[in-house]
Amino acid sequence: MSPLATLGVTAALHIAALGVTATAQQPVATQLAGRVPATVVVAVSALADSAATRGLPVEPLVEKAIEGGAKAATPERIVAAVQAVLARLGRAQGALQAAGVATPAPDAIEAGGFALSAGLEVGNVQAVALACGTRYSAAVALRVAGTLSALGVPPAQTVELVKQTLRSGAKERDLLALPGRVEAQVAQGATPGQAAAGLARAAAARAAAPGQNRVPPRGQSSSHRP
Amino acid sequence: MTTVFHPLVKRFLDGELHLADLPPELHAEARAAERLLGAVDRAAVTLPAGLDARVMAEVRKRATAPSGARRWWHGLVASREIRVRYRLWTLGPALAAAAALVLLLTPARPVVEAGMPVVATAPESVFVRFVLFAPGAHQVSVAGTFNQWSVTAAPLALTGAAGVWTATVALPVGQHQYAFVVDGRRWVNDPAAPTVDDGFGRRNSVMAVGAGVRAL
Amino acid sequence: MGTRTDGEIVRAVLAGDTEQYAELVRHYRDRYARFAARMLGSADEAEDAVQDAFIRAFEQLQQCRDPDNFAGWFFLILRNRCLAERRRAVRAGPGGDAVTVPATERADGPLEQDERRRALQQALLELTPEQREVFVLKHVEDLSYEEIAGRLGASVPSLKMRMHRAYDRLRERLKDVL
Repeated sequence: MSPLATLGVTAALHIAALGVTATAQQPVATQLAGRVPATVVVAVSALADSAATRGLPVEPLVEKAIEGGAKAATPERIVAAVQAVLARLGRAQGALQAAGVATPAPDAIEAGGFALSAGLEVGNVQAVALACGTRYSAAVALRVAGTLSALGVPPAQTVELVKQTLRSGAKERDLLALPGRVEAQVAQGATPGQAAAGLARAAAARAAAPGQNRVPPRGQSSSHRP
Repeated sequence: MTTVFHPLVKRFLDGELHLADLPPELHAEARAAERLLGAVDRAAVTLPAGLDARVMAEVRKRATAPSGARRWWHGLVASREIRVRYRLWTLGPALAAAAALVLLLTPARPVVEAGMPVVATAPESVFVRFVLFAPGAHQVSVAGTFNQWSVTAAPLALTGAAGVWTATVALPVGQHQYAFVVDGRRWVNDPAAPTVDDGFGRRNSVMAVGAGVRAL
Repeated sequence: MGTRTDGEIVRAVLAGDTEQYAELVRHYRDRYARFAARMLGSADEAEDAVQDAFIRAFEQLQQCRDPDNFAGWFFLILRNRCLAERRRAVRAGPGGDAVTVPATERADGPLEQDERRRALQQALLELTPEQREVFVLKHVEDLSYEEIAGRLGASVPSLKMRMHRAYDRLRERLKDVL
């Protein structure tokens, strides 16, 4: 069999005329039935219970188990992978709390878990969450940070790029565009770290310009009284 | 020097021992322990009446917001007036059947208003075209978080160019992990995308899709 | 007034009848308020925590594995909310946010009792959240170690260890008033 080469993925985006609903409303055991061995169903159900009582999202655990089943992984490996996801979610939750988010939302925890899986450390997750202040979504920022890390940007440069971008008062869309901009520069010969550092310097320069809206770091967790 | 309770006094505090069970030299300490417990405020707490209304106001807001785990991404979406909702696993002839099946299964909410055109003023999914050059492959599909890692749900088709497989898949707005599956068993990453460890000895490709923005 | 179980109400809400959630709020709004007040140090904080917990419980309702035990599941959400609160600065002085002290007969003078009660509440806030939780569940909510273990999924020996450390810290902190 000749080795596979790829042309890569071209993403031709067409605005869909139709929406999509997610349907994750079934118990864990029901979602996993038939997709993984029974022993895995039991183990993951217990892990999901533990996650729920700790205020952690359950869906990433179920997704990882389903993935393992699809990839024909051994039961032990599937359970280990799910345990690893749970551990990352717990660490992400701790990092968000340390950043002053008293009750992190599930999407932020999941994004923090993704960032950890992509190579960031707990301190990096905390730093990104702190930099978000009250103006930016920690979930979005952490997704972007994780993607930058997955692209090969070292953790320190990842955090610096996200922080400077937030500090410069950029729109959320600009934050989401960061991985693409890094990739574009990598295509021109820069290393991911160099690309990120250059973009961070440019953002810092914008932030330092007079009249910029600076984002305050996250302070006390807010009292919820609508 | 820190003042600590004698272990027997701790058991007294726990309710396992009575005062009479303790040696006399510990009675003074036990009375201090009793004063500690006596200082516990056990008064009932009644919360203000407005709490119920505030909770239900937030509950109603959330009940009418788009559902699903990717709700966080909806900051990108301009409005929410989608009239009809479908879940698309594959395109082509199966579309009508898939749509009808999903309409039956999704929670009851008004999906079509009589006389109103189907309007998507804000997308909650976008079509993404996957391309893989795999000469020699007999079947290729793409599996990921958007289709529960099904190796059959999103098959690619051979195009005119030799060895080029393509498929256009509707992905919910949000971030996804995925991989190509060649001949039903070989998992292949997208070299154009960043990857993360999948926990099974391989790596998953990562893609984020938003309305009009592909953020890798 | 209907006599539906919590499970029936939860399933109705999940099926789309959102307004039914108000019944659950009505049933449980005060049940754990005292726990939250002792954990957080004030009725105001408890109100915020209970409100947040109800909203979060609604958001995660599909993850409630045993809808007939909504109470236990809701308690855990509230508990997590209380544990996640940042460590509070010690409030100095009497009054402040202290919850109303019940007037009951004591062997000591009322002033000494009031002072001890306020001092104990402040000292509780200086414990770790885990130590404070087991103390509140046992000595405020009157649960046994076994009942606490069942609620929290912890072992009785580990709960006792936490509690005994709490006793020592409280004794040290309150040695001038006990």
